[in-house]
Amino acid sequence: MTAEPTERRTFLALSGGGFAAGGLLGTGLISAKEAAAQTPSDSLLRTVLERGHLVVGTGSTNPPWHFEDEAGELQGLDIEMGKAIAFHLFDDDSKVEFVRQDPAARVPNILANKVDCVVQFMTVNGQRAQLVNFSRPYFLNSVSLLTLADGRYKTYEELLAAGSNARASILQNVDALAIARDALPEAEIMQVDTQANVIQALDAGHVDAAYMSVSQVKWLRVQRPDRYFDSGASFRPNYFSVALRQGDLDWLVYVNMALTNTMWGSHSQVFDAAYEKYLGLAPPDRKAGFPYFS
Amino acid sequence: MSYDFNFTFIWNNFDVVLMGLVNSLRLAALSIPIAMALGLLLALIYVDGHRIGRGLVAGYVEVVRNAPLLLWVYLVFYGVPQATGLRYDREVSFVATLSCYGAAYLVEVFRSGLESVPRGQIDAGYAIGMTSPQVLLHVRLPTMFRIILPALSNSCISLFKDTSIAMVLGIPELAFTAQWINTSTFRVVEAWMVIVPLYLVTTYAIIFALRRLERRFKVA
Repeated sequence: MTAEPTERRTFLALSGGGFAAGGLLGTGLISAKEAAAQTPSDSLLRTVLERGHLVVGTGSTNPPWHFEDEAGELQGLDIEMGKAIAFHLFDDDSKVEFVRQDPAARVPNILANKVDCVVQFMTVNGQRAQLVNFSRPYFLNSVSLLTLADGRYKTYEELLAAGSNARASILQNVDALAIARDALPEAEIMQVDTQANVIQALDAGHVDAAYMSVSQVKWLRVQRPDRYFDSGASFRPNYFSVALRQGDLDWLVYVNMALTNTMWGSHSQVFDAAYEKYLGLAPPDRKAGFPYFS
Repeated sequence: MSYDFNFTFIWNNFDVVLMGLVNSLRLAALSIPIAMALGLLLALIYVDGHRIGRGLVAGYVEVVRNAPLLLWVYLVFYGVPQATGLRYDREVSFVATLSCYGAAYLVEVFRSGLESVPRGQIDAGYAIGMTSPQVLLHVRLPTMFRIILPALSNSCISLFKDTSIAMVLGIPELAFTAQWINTSTFRVVEAWMVIVPLYLVTTYAIIFALRRLERRFKVA
């Protein structure tokens, strides 16, 4: 049966109004705070919104992820992701407090509710996932080896061929030895307390290579091409994700939304600028249409 | 908030924990004698030497004691090789650093002991024809050690506890073992609940042995 013209106009008007409202929301004319979902009062999402700012645990000594500039302000890809989450919460990426913490405190600070989330180049693994929830990934990392431009072994092939004569430094970590043996099965491995000292051990000549993220190798090579060399090694792909408290589905889903929108949606200009600035990488190709994204 | 204690990983790897304790004791056993020898030498220079020597020793003590041990460990292991081209492994680096650091504190202990030896005993030694080295070896040092034994004991215990700093160089001593448990399992509470008592027990054992030595050689 054909709808009456008045009913059809009413239906179209209401539909148009719905589209308009959705459009206004999507363009930000209705703020995220004003349009806050009816989350349960015990969700961290509600707590953060009522507090008025996001508390993010991160580090300050590991470029290009989190480091301080000359003015002492935190910079880096992790900082940009933290700001992006804050932007989605408050339409203001300055509504974020960064808590500087040691990598060893990443899980304990989540468990102790000292931070709302941890954005600190945190690799996803099964053991950690038993204690925290991980968001969707925001970076696909791999482990690489930094060498000295004038070192006795520069390329990965030379390091491998050196066998037990090769020495390498790596950050103390649950997977440190396993990771190290993957690339250099016979090398002497030195585990040190901070990522900065992993590089210091190379600079001081105690080791021939320093294990680090491929992002750090690229960063250092760009900063000091005369001093450092990219050995070309790339192994043990792993994801970086944001760590969150377990048992709070609303908070997990919200952070996932913020990250996805930052990497693939309406906030991606921030992501693209950060990738180029800190990694020298071109942004991904985003084709409109079918929402296929990793 | 309730916490679910789980000590399984620690008990399954208790041999690693004990090896950490052994390594801590080994670092202390290497560092303490060197620190004592260096501290005594510097104290003798200060007490018996020329004013230039006294000035140098005083400067050394002030500089070393007024910076944290952790900074010295980093400077010696990472900074000195970059500045000088010298190469040495991390245990050599740490033992040397801890020895020099401990010596700076022991200089004061030995100095006060040397200055506390009764003048009459020293004069008596010279009176019976002893040379200066003989007076030092047979009169001043034995008396000095009996006087300073309590303070020396305290310094030895402090140096043993300072071996925990070696963990920043990845040397597998007791504190490093606790950190390893923490990074492997994130069981922070359980890790320190086991490691701290081990430090306490070891420290009390050292105190007990040293106190017996003090009673044996107590100055009346």
